[in-house]
Amino acid sequence: MAHLSTNTPAVDVYLYSFGNSNARIVLHHVAYGDVSPYEKVAAGEYTVAMRAAGAPGASKPVLSTSINVAPGGAYTVAGVGPEAGLRLQVLTDQLTTPKGKALVRVIQASMHQEKVTVRLNGTDLANEIAFSHVSSYTAVPPGLLSVHVTGPSESATRTVKLTPGSIHTLVVLDGASSLAVDDLIDAQGSKVVPNGGVRTGFGGTAARPGAALLPWGSAVAAGLLLAVGGALFASRRRRPALHAR
Amino acid sequence: MRRRPPASGSPAQSDDAQARRGRHISSIRVVRRPVAAAALIAGLLVAGIAAAGLSVASQTGKAAAPVRPPVNPTKLVPIPHGTYAAPPPAASRTVAEPVSLLIPAIGVRTRLVHLGITSGGTLQVPGTTAVAGWYTGSPRPGEPGGAVIAGHIDSRQAKGVFYLLRLLRPGERVFVRRADGTLAAFQITVVRSYPKTRFPTSAVYGPTPDAQIRLITCGGTFDWTTGHYLSNTIVYASLVS
Repeated sequence: MAHLSTNTPAVDVYLYSFGNSNARIVLHHVAYGDVSPYEKVAAGEYTVAMRAAGAPGASKPVLSTSINVAPGGAYTVAGVGPEAGLRLQVLTDQLTTPKGKALVRVIQASMHQEKVTVRLNGTDLANEIAFSHVSSYTAVPPGLLSVHVTGPSESATRTVKLTPGSIHTLVVLDGASSLAVDDLIDAQGSKVVPNGGVRTGFGGTAARPGAALLPWGSAVAAGLLLAVGGALFASRRRRPALHAR
Repeated sequence: MRRRPPASGSPAQSDDAQARRGRHISSIRVVRRPVAAAALIAGLLVAGIAAAGLSVASQTGKAAAPVRPPVNPTKLVPIPHGTYAAPPPAASRTVAEPVSLLIPAIGVRTRLVHLGITSGGTLQVPGTTAVAGWYTGSPRPGEPGGAVIAGHIDSRQAKGVFYLLRLLRPGERVFVRRADGTLAAFQITVVRSYPKTRFPTSAVYGPTPDAQIRLITCGGTFDWTTGHYLSNTIVYASLVS
């Protein structure tokens, strides 16, 4: 859940299973620029409602939208736009990166700077992106990188640490005095992905080969004994007859 | 008076006696020889099949099925007390490094060593089978992403720290204590075994939006020719908020 509408006061955000009037999750006093951590929910249809902070849970929401949560999916529900035209936007967050890369997208939530350009170490992440718009993800080489945001009259610079296998959202906000940039981690994985399985055992609790071989070994011995016995029996009984002749 | 039976081949044997004995022998040969031949064939068959089994069995060895500790294991490793840190906000990366792991359900309490990558590109494993290790290339437990912790199922002689890992069940809890003294509690979601040839690399090391943990050990059949187990047991758990 994200509050990205600069002139809208704080809100309470409710998440309902579709058709169920008991809220599954309630986030209180979500103010401009706040982004909650992800909450885990079962796949299915949900309703997100926003009420003014402190308003009764049974009151009519200011805004609501529905969201279809797919298994294994991740979503950001953002309140965007000016207060007069506030809307809830459901963003689908990506959860995989190209090997060894990081993914970055931009949410333009600055109302004071209507259009901004966001560059990351010289790569354009968003060019002249308008207020309340969201860029698509860009794959970038990981590292400690410099983000530069320029609007018509203000600009901002900060560094972000992007590890391989991480997915970030940069939020351009109206700060106290000037533009600000928030760096959100959408998802992250291991920086270096090891190959294959893990060698975490030496066999001390596995059946010893001796133990496993014992029944087979005794069967071999018994079989051979039977065969030799049979052969001896046949030849020994024949021998006296030859002597007698 | 008792008559001694004549010794075989004795010169005192009468022709009559010899003839009788000859007949007797021939009648035995008729009856006994097929039995002896059958025994010979059956014996060779059994020995052959058993030898084949022997050669197969010498290559592999299935681990004996372990049982959970009979006593209530939470008495051995109590559920830890301490500050349960909330998940960090999406904009920061503030959790401290993990230092120890507790799994009350199977009586595991171990410090966590640091694990890297081997020169062969595989995950390093702890140098001793008595401790588990955290892969430093994975997120810290409690940060967004899947923290990876590996431990041995056994040494060459004895049980290892993760000997009972495969017996964990969804819903049971795993605790990680961090360098600043805070605790992160995880609830098990999935326990699965995979052949190492089909290791779920992206599920284990790939990005996740929430804080998760993966506990990895060996399992399945032990290959005595290579000295390695053929499968990995993986426990997936999610941070309890």
